[in-house]
Amino acid sequence: MVDIGTLSLIVLLGMFALLAIGMPLGFASAFLAVVTLSLKFPPDLLWGDFGRGPMSVLGQAVYRQMTNYVLISVPLFIFMAALLERSGIARDMYSSLNIWLSRVRGGIAVVTSIMAVIMAAMSGIIGGEVVLLGLIALPQMLRLGYNQNLAIGTICASGSLGTMIPPSIVLIFYGLVTETSIKALFTASFLPGFMLASFFLIYIVVRTQMRPDMAPLPPEVPGEPKGGDKGLMFLGFMSRFTAWVAGVLFVRAVFFTVTGDNAVREGQDPIPLGMVSDIPWIVGTFVLCLILIFFVCGRDRTAKGWEMGKGLIAPTVVIGVVLGSIYGGITGITEAAGMGVIAVFVIGMLRREMTFDIVWDSLIRTLRSTGTIIWVTIGAAALAAAYTLVGGPTYVANLIVGADLPTMGIILVMMFVFLIMGMFMDWVGIVLLIMPVFLPIVVRLPAEEIGFLASVDARYIPIWFGVVFCMNMQVSFLSPPFGPAAFYLKSVAPAHISLTDIFKGFLPFIALQLVALSVLLIWPPIVTLFL
Amino acid sequence: MHDNSLWLGRMRGPVKTTMMVFIGLTLALYVWLITQQFISDDAYGMFEMIRPAGRPLVLAMLIIFSLALFFASLFLSDTKGAIETPPEGIFDLVSVVLGRLSMIMTTFIVLVMFYEVVSRYVFSKPTLWANELSLWIAAFVFLLSGLYAMQQRSHIRIYIIYDMMPRWAQKLSDCISVLLIVAFAVALVWGGYTDAENRFMRMETFGTAWDPPIPGIVKPGLLIIIVLVAIQAVSNLIADWNKDPVVHSSSDDIDEIEIENIRRTLEEQK
Repeated sequence: MVDIGTLSLIVLLGMFALLAIGMPLGFASAFLAVVTLSLKFPPDLLWGDFGRGPMSVLGQAVYRQMTNYVLISVPLFIFMAALLERSGIARDMYSSLNIWLSRVRGGIAVVTSIMAVIMAAMSGIIGGEVVLLGLIALPQMLRLGYNQNLAIGTICASGSLGTMIPPSIVLIFYGLVTETSIKALFTASFLPGFMLASFFLIYIVVRTQMRPDMAPLPPEVPGEPKGGDKGLMFLGFMSRFTAWVAGVLFVRAVFFTVTGDNAVREGQDPIPLGMVSDIPWIVGTFVLCLILIFFVCGRDRTAKGWEMGKGLIAPTVVIGVVLGSIYGGITGITEAAGMGVIAVFVIGMLRREMTFDIVWDSLIRTLRSTGTIIWVTIGAAALAAAYTLVGGPTYVANLIVGADLPTMGIILVMMFVFLIMGMFMDWVGIVLLIMPVFLPIVVRLPAEEIGFLASVDARYIPIWFGVVFCMNMQVSFLSPPFGPAAFYLKSVAPAHISLTDIFKGFLPFIALQLVALSVLLIWPPIVTLFL
Repeated sequence: MHDNSLWLGRMRGPVKTTMMVFIGLTLALYVWLITQQFISDDAYGMFEMIRPAGRPLVLAMLIIFSLALFFASLFLSDTKGAIETPPEGIFDLVSVVLGRLSMIMTTFIVLVMFYEVVSRYVFSKPTLWANELSLWIAAFVFLLSGLYAMQQRSHIRIYIIYDMMPRWAQKLSDCISVLLIVAFAVALVWGGYTDAENRFMRMETFGTAWDPPIPGIVKPGLLIIIVLVAIQAVSNLIADWNKDPVVHSSSDDIDEIEIENIRRTLEEQK
């Protein structure tokens, strides 16, 4: 019927037209899937026989997505984040961190960043995170007379880290679309995520050291411990906490030894920190902690430090449950998300904060967000299936690979496309609609030409590209005119801060994100260090 | 409690009582079935639970459990969540009730996973059914969430140009959108009907040890729910026809009420 080039153009233009008239993204893609098939197959084959024909690929594609086990992690992570933002965990974490860093120049900004990293490791969603930080940290920073741009940029840029540091919902979708191992993606994004976070921290510290008036110190509280005393207290807190962890691990290892689960067997992965050979190490750590508590820090200091640092325990437990489940080989991503929900719920119960209303309200939000995200997936799955059936991705890949462009040139053009699309579109639309076309091209590019200083093994190209994509989306959360982080912050910021002010505050942080992105492009092996 | 009833009105009380009764019956029967596990050799496990033929107790359990879920969804749909668009017609009500059902189901997924992780990790006795059960439930949660999101008008749209249009052009755009959604539903049913019918008639199973009829149930369910979504889209178009234009912003997905809730949480116990 219609040749594939014209068809691709029609689909592309159709997408723009349908989105312009405000058609929901998922349904627009779904309808374009019908258009694709109608252009490819003659009408009597399509519509001649009710109940069968090429249109059946649509139903099959949707069914495949609906019975995808990993996809279940999406509503669960959303549920967990919704519960988390209604518990006081974040507030306590802020006060704990703030005590330790109150005498540091730019302390609250640093605390904000660190807190954002911790929250990013708990859940994989942005939005609530920016709102929380905006409610907790922004008033403090403005009251102390922090530079407004610095305050805004810190909150939004760090608050967006949620999707860069595992678990990350962006990487989950990338893994689903491209059939890449999500666990590997998470591992790969660790280092780049922390690199980006450390760029933020370095920027804050350097900037405030150069211009101390940007971040005035809070007035001293009489009787507050300072200097070395505080350091010892922190050491005491850490030792006591580590001792607890070691104790729990010891019980766990003994339990395995009793049940015989950790017997060394051929062809079975050892249980991390659960083997008999690990017990001496655990006991050693425990003893070391006791020595630190009793002979270095002193029991009083430890007790005081514990009181001050308590707020950090709940987040650590949640991270331990979620990431520990994934990396400890206990569960997959989906069960880890489920366990995260349970962990947050139980902590909320222990803190006497959970009520039926909070859970129910979180469920309403979860279902709403699930509906919007999953139905984009449904539409995109239909479109991708139809477009693949007519040979679209191969055509585009041949077109680009055959065009004899420099490899890095193609990659840079893709980055540009991501950044521009990210200004107008949700990440979920980009990953679902663009990735099925882009990734086949990237995979077919010569692997040794990817990266400027060093290249990465061809096997790891999809993983590398996923992390690069994730970094691109970091920029999209901040980029004007529709950067969602700005709107989240606007809704909680004092009225005199306009959207323009907010976007102005983002500029240095967007620059930092672009630096991090170029590090990934210049030296791709950074993603494979831990693989 | 009549004053905040959305649509049940005088029936709110009776529905609540019925819900309680069925929940109570379900729990009682559940406890009975669990006790059987310990005292009887041929107790019903999860394998028997999805094969009710010739097992009246299982059939009773399934029916009572479904009724409990149904009445719980009815009762819960009578209270409007703070962020929700209130239902306006019969189709809105269907969507909201089904939405409530999938909210309850979401918690079931969490519980099933928790059970599985505990029994596999702590007792080294992995279940055969947990993964497939959550898959089965989740397929419906996913599908129904779209129906709910349609009723709530929360599907992702790009409003940049839409908001600049005059009202008549917006109406025209809405008509086109809805028409195309219906066209997609028709195409999907046209292509998938025979396949879904065959699988439903055979009650095609998943081909695993527990062997739930996931394809046999989800495939027809998919078509039915897509049709419901299309109907809901038409219903939205009619309901919104004479409403004033709403200006949308990118912060739509984070709402005032949520912020207020978070703020309250932060201020408590300070």
